[in-house]
Amino acid sequence: MTHNGPAGTRTADSVGVPSSSDTSSADLSAVVRETIAEVLGTTPDAIVDSTDLRTEYGIDSLELMAIGAQLERVLNVPISAEDLMGADTVGQAVELLAQRKAGRE
Amino acid sequence: MTPQQHHSTAGRWPSERPRVVVTGIGVKTPAGLTLDEAMSAVLAARSTAALHDELAEGGSPVHFACRVPEFDPEPYVTRRERRQIDRPTELALCAAADAVEQAALSGLPSARVGVHLGTGIGGLPTMESSVREHYGDSRRMPVHAVPRTMANSAAARVAMRYGFRGSCVTYNTACASGATAIGEAARRIQYGELDVAVGGGFDAAVTAFMLTGFSRMQALSTRNDAPEQASRPFDAQRDGFVMGEGAAVLVLERRESALARGAHIFGEVAGYATNADAHHIVAPHADGAVAAACMADAIADAGLLPADIGQINAHGTSTPANDSSEATAIHRCFDGQAPPVTAVKGVTGHLIGGSGALEAAISLVCAERRIVPPVANLTEPSEADRIDVVFGAPRSVDRAPVLSNSFGFGGQNVCLVLLPAT
Repeated sequence: MTHNGPAGTRTADSVGVPSSSDTSSADLSAVVRETIAEVLGTTPDAIVDSTDLRTEYGIDSLELMAIGAQLERVLNVPISAEDLMGADTVGQAVELLAQRKAGRE
Repeated sequence: MTPQQHHSTAGRWPSERPRVVVTGIGVKTPAGLTLDEAMSAVLAARSTAALHDELAEGGSPVHFACRVPEFDPEPYVTRRERRQIDRPTELALCAAADAVEQAALSGLPSARVGVHLGTGIGGLPTMESSVREHYGDSRRMPVHAVPRTMANSAAARVAMRYGFRGSCVTYNTACASGATAIGEAARRIQYGELDVAVGGGFDAAVTAFMLTGFSRMQALSTRNDAPEQASRPFDAQRDGFVMGEGAAVLVLERRESALARGAHIFGEVAGYATNADAHHIVAPHADGAVAAACMADAIADAGLLPADIGQINAHGTSTPANDSSEATAIHRCFDGQAPPVTAVKGVTGHLIGGSGALEAAISLVCAERRIVPPVANLTEPSEADRIDVVFGAPRSVDRAPVLSNSFGFGGQNVCLVLLPAT
């Protein structure tokens, strides 16, 4: 799958990542990192598995909701801001999403 | 003027009412991205109106407006923050950042600094596009839709950015909102509630929908074939206002503390008054009596007499109704002895909520430079029987206070008296 870069997009929560039903775990990680990067105004390579969005970026609840809403739409799995708040790092969030996806399939 | 002159308003204010000065000014306007640029354009009487294709494409009968020139917002707003704000808030934040930086505030208790901004339209243009893009599709509605469009977004963002914890208020008096915010901010300082207030106004409503709405009332000029001649305050051939956009933000401060810290002082906000025509939802009262009373009240609030005013920065929208009734009101307030009158909207267009604040800033420079800018596009003054409107070239005047008028739909009248630094 291809990832449309977020560059130039200004409309919140409309990150240019395509929807896919057969996302592999590497792709899943890429989608999550790209979504987070767009909301935080950074690049996906700045977001790694060990990134802690709270301590490193001071992410707020609305930003987490924006990330959750986008992932929910793109991955077609239910994910709430509370779910994401339960993850300490990006890697944990990806793991959580992978479980959700597996559960659905 | 001397502080003793304030005693003429004894009974309303303590005799020791603090004087309020301006120590920072930031603007993001069609006429320029700094006050110097805007002032040069105003003195040159150079219109900034231009055709914008998206207006005609969007079905607006008016195809032109005065837009803020493109500039790089990166030094002011991070990409992360830009996703969460809209254009009106962005312009306000950029202007506020310039003003705060220029004032070089430091070491102030955060609770003694407030933010007072005015907007006439606020986030409505953004709500308009949200409805268009996301109606009936809740999963695509941005999480930030509400915080991005709420009218107090800009003021709250300024407070958040700098940690200003004093009163944070957003005013709406339509096209007079920016002047209201500056007047109310000055009051907070005079009353002793704040030491410093960030005060100003903003709007960015150049959309096909907004222009169509205003033109349905015949409020806008329809001069699509010559946009640069469309905004012509006090001219016999005027046919409506030209929509503008932008923000102007001032840092207001107790004069004593500004002097103590050696800040540069642009001038003083000495008088403020506001009242309402209580007459018609958009039209000003033709007899100008209430607007005249507002001018007189602002002059008295400054402890001055009408004869002390050296020039008037009129609201001057270029609508037939406003300019005529404003001329009558000025004539009435000054008993036929009004000082020279100017209006900047021939150059800037109408910044709606930003206008009153920009015009207060321009007035401070005019007071300091002892100059009255010429009105753009004015060749045939139709109000010459009542007022002396400057056109053709700038006019030199004595060092004197300036009266700045702002009026808004709803019959809102707001007048400020600005003084050169003393």
